[in-house]
Amino acid sequence: MKVEPLLYGDRKVYTVSAFNHGVASWVAKLPSLWIEGEVTEFRRQPGWQSVFFTLKDPQDGACLPVSMPRGRFDGLRLDLTDGMTVHVLGRPEVYEARGVFRLRALSIEPLGLGAILAGLERLKRKLAAEGLFAPERKRPLPVLPRRIGLLTGNEAAAKRDFVTAVQGRFPAANLLVAQTYVQGQAAPAAIATTLEALAREPCVDVIVLTRGGGSFEDLLPFSDERVVRAVAGSSVPIVSAVGHEQDTPLCDHAADVRASTPTAAARFVVPDERELRERLDTARAALARSAATTVERARSSLVRDWERLSRAPALLVERKRAGLEGLAGRLQALSPKNTLARGYAIVRMDNGIVRSSAELAVGKRVEVELAEGSFDGRVEETRP
Amino acid sequence: MTDALSFEDARRELEQIVAKLESGQASLEEAVALWERGELLYRTCVGRLDAAHGKIEELGKRVDEARP
Repeated sequence: MKVEPLLYGDRKVYTVSAFNHGVASWVAKLPSLWIEGEVTEFRRQPGWQSVFFTLKDPQDGACLPVSMPRGRFDGLRLDLTDGMTVHVLGRPEVYEARGVFRLRALSIEPLGLGAILAGLERLKRKLAAEGLFAPERKRPLPVLPRRIGLLTGNEAAAKRDFVTAVQGRFPAANLLVAQTYVQGQAAPAAIATTLEALAREPCVDVIVLTRGGGSFEDLLPFSDERVVRAVAGSSVPIVSAVGHEQDTPLCDHAADVRASTPTAAARFVVPDERELRERLDTARAALARSAATTVERARSSLVRDWERLSRAPALLVERKRAGLEGLAGRLQALSPKNTLARGYAIVRMDNGIVRSSAELAVGKRVEVELAEGSFDGRVEETRP
Repeated sequence: MTDALSFEDARRELEQIVAKLESGQASLEEAVALWERGELLYRTCVGRLDAAHGKIEELGKRVDEARP
């Protein structure tokens, strides 16, 4: 059908119906495409010719209305529910009566395991590139948390395992337990919100994220982007203990510590009380020992000082005595006795020492002093 | 004097004091002061352990189950 405008002078004007029809026939030339999105607002009524739902982009919430003829939909035998991620093969169309753009679905396929894994791998690479898993982001856990936040599902096992292990190691531990949905479509948002709520509680120094073992699909909420971001962005350090040893949901990479099981998580968040007391006692013993060593060292250095001090006067006398002996030696060297010992003699007359024969006269008495003893004599002859 | 300290900080300080004393670099006055401080920290830590009573609360419900 050709779309004819009305003419108002030079202006071409289209009716709504003509415009919608024109756009619709142009859009109808676009090819069929596969589109990935999350199913929301799924509507199916017995009287309706078609089923309707909205495909949502989980990244930014962009929406696309989808319709599918009811017969074709029922033929797929799909149990389509809100939140399911699907691939839809469809052709864009304009619903002319309402001027609404939508996708006319020809086929719908729920995402298979391979596609889910590929999606997870993409998400993992993206978050890793943002640095959410970087080792330098990991924070140390407190030695003794004032309070431990525990996020768990309403299944008893994981919670019981964790609580039993915590109380076995450290009976005085304080726990704040938050139960929430850990499975199903509501889980990612519920987990993210509950994590934030726990972190806001006073004195919560560490949060443990637990969930017992389950199928790959059961654990998917713990790989949801919202949960991973909430874990990475938490103001309180987080220990992830989801599933069993072999499971590594993406939240494990974002958590500060990954524990293989809830029981293992308990070992990370509380110390063993007996061990802790032993370590404290060891520190105290070392403290006393080292203090005593320091005092002992100070005491012996004091004793050494005192001994040196008390030796000092004797040392002084000794030194003086040595000085004195030197002096005596030098005095001895100057004494005439040594000269006499070598065979010289001193001649005295009238108490004066005779140095020249001119001082003598024949018949005068002289006293001669030898090295040993002395004698008197009379001068018999003088020679100049 | 140690009331405001967390258990963790008290224990860390105690270990630092022990390390300092063991290095033998402290003077006598310092050593005595460090030993007194260390003893106080030790008693603080042990006191905290002795005084603590475990509690399990539910977020949302807040049913306190104080345990001996």
